[in-house]
Amino acid sequence: MIEIEHLTKRYGKKTAVDDLTFAVKPGVVTGFLGPNGAGKSTTMRAIVGLDAPTSGLARVNGQHYSQFKSPLTEVGALLEAKSVHAGRSAYKHLLALARTHGIPAKRVHEVIDLVGLHEVAGKRVGGFSLGMGQRLGIAVALLGDPAVLILDEPVNGLDPDGVKWIRLLLKGLASEGRTVFLSSHLMSELAQTAEHLIVIGQGKLLADTTVDDFVNGSGKARVRVVSPDAARLAEHLAGPGITIASPERGVLEVSGTEAAVVGQTAAAHGLVLHELRTDRGSLEDAFMQLTADSVEYRQTVEGAK
Amino acid sequence: MTAAAMTERPAAYVPKGGYRLTGAGLLRSEWTKLWSLRSTWIVLLCAVVFAAGLGALISASVPSDQGLAGADMALSFAMAGVSMSSVFIAVLGILTVTGEYTTGSIRSTMSAAPKRLGVLAAKAVVYGAVVAVLFSAMVFVTFFLSQALLDDPALSVSLGDDGVLRALFGYVAMIVYLALLAIALGSILRNSAGSIAFYIGVIMILPQLATILPWDWVADVVPYAPGNVANTLILVDTSQSTLGVGESWLWMGIWLVVAYGLAGVLLKRRDV
Repeated sequence: MIEIEHLTKRYGKKTAVDDLTFAVKPGVVTGFLGPNGAGKSTTMRAIVGLDAPTSGLARVNGQHYSQFKSPLTEVGALLEAKSVHAGRSAYKHLLALARTHGIPAKRVHEVIDLVGLHEVAGKRVGGFSLGMGQRLGIAVALLGDPAVLILDEPVNGLDPDGVKWIRLLLKGLASEGRTVFLSSHLMSELAQTAEHLIVIGQGKLLADTTVDDFVNGSGKARVRVVSPDAARLAEHLAGPGITIASPERGVLEVSGTEAAVVGQTAAAHGLVLHELRTDRGSLEDAFMQLTADSVEYRQTVEGAK
Repeated sequence: MTAAAMTERPAAYVPKGGYRLTGAGLLRSEWTKLWSLRSTWIVLLCAVVFAAGLGALISASVPSDQGLAGADMALSFAMAGVSMSSVFIAVLGILTVTGEYTTGSIRSTMSAAPKRLGVLAAKAVVYGAVVAVLFSAMVFVTFFLSQALLDDPALSVSLGDDGVLRALFGYVAMIVYLALLAIALGSILRNSAGSIAFYIGVIMILPQLATILPWDWVADVVPYAPGNVANTLILVDTSQSTLGVGESWLWMGIWLVVAYGLAGVLLKRRDV
């Protein structure tokens, strides 16, 4: 359980996080979504005590992170991938961290195998690719077998294989009752991994909801119809609250109604349908809609100065 | 959220016990970090080779008929390379801290030890101990090497002579003091180039340059400068120095308290 209460962080005059309040619950993967500079990384850094909040607080399982007697077994964090000395080997980096807590070298080998770095563990990290650095960061996060995982853009730089692997890994960890909190700018990725969603923009909370509700609530669901009689069907469908677009000949995109209604209308008028499908709004659409508002908001504020 | 969804949730995971963040753990961690970098081996090797090599080279080339005499003169030949060597030690000390900031590994370090001060203490203890052991060995090897190479019987010194052993350990103390000062400096400035420039410019060179200034009070103050307070310790005959041996220790202590006090406060206050 991660609790953020009225968290505000200013860097000089710039407000990175603005009175943010939300909670991340155990047992599900929670996604943290927001455009660049929205304050995701700052929030995550505040949780593990790297940044001190200007006001408000961030707690993990009811405690401030620095009060834990064994921080690494409470929270595992991947903040920026290359939080490693370039001249040190992956193994020694993990070993140095493990030793602070008396975690045995056996566990270091375990996490190295788990993230698939076995063959390069003895090599200097400076020569690692982005994806390898990312895997090492994940190994660091998993080192203490922690109850809470905080991962900033974990799929960055991973190949499709790695993306699939981490998706399954995170879901598995959440199903064991852990708190899994990951940020991403890949909204489609979050849709496949996360169950719950925290969306921020301009350092402010925009949404705290389930992924399903977020997508459905975006009002972007629409019905796609392919018909040789598209023009006539459109005439019969037209009505208040219904918008019909025709992206290409013979294809209609109808919003404001349901597929069943469209099908019945076509049958009632004896029109042939080749395809009838509901396109749920994508997470991207919902996200763009939300953040577009926050971008506009900023511009009006700047314009007012 | 529905009640059904709530009950589907697994019970919150409880981390396995047994592991603790400890001071001993931090020391072992810093030990691992120190020796897992190639630069440590290279710089320490350079420091020892320069100190011993320069001392031997100069001792071997001292002419025997110049009327040079005395234990301090003999030691100054033997330890001719130590001040050069101290720069290597200070730079490596600075890098043990600033290297973490420039590479970002400080984020891993401080996430594992969020109270932070223990990390600084562990770095100081580990590096100080390594330098102490290394230079204790180096100082004695160089002393005997130099004595074997010096021709002039007037420069012949024995470990049993009054003050010689104390002066030799004085060299070790001075180097350890400078190493500790360098770590605090690195922690305060957090930037490799800036810290090294500050160390060489302000700690090493400025007090020497200041003595050229025409004001008397400058000459009175210079022996108390952080880079100079250890200078008494390396003398066999301390009767001519401004600071006595006890005062020298006291001032080393004062400067370390000041440096680590500032470093500690900043470490706690600043974002990583």
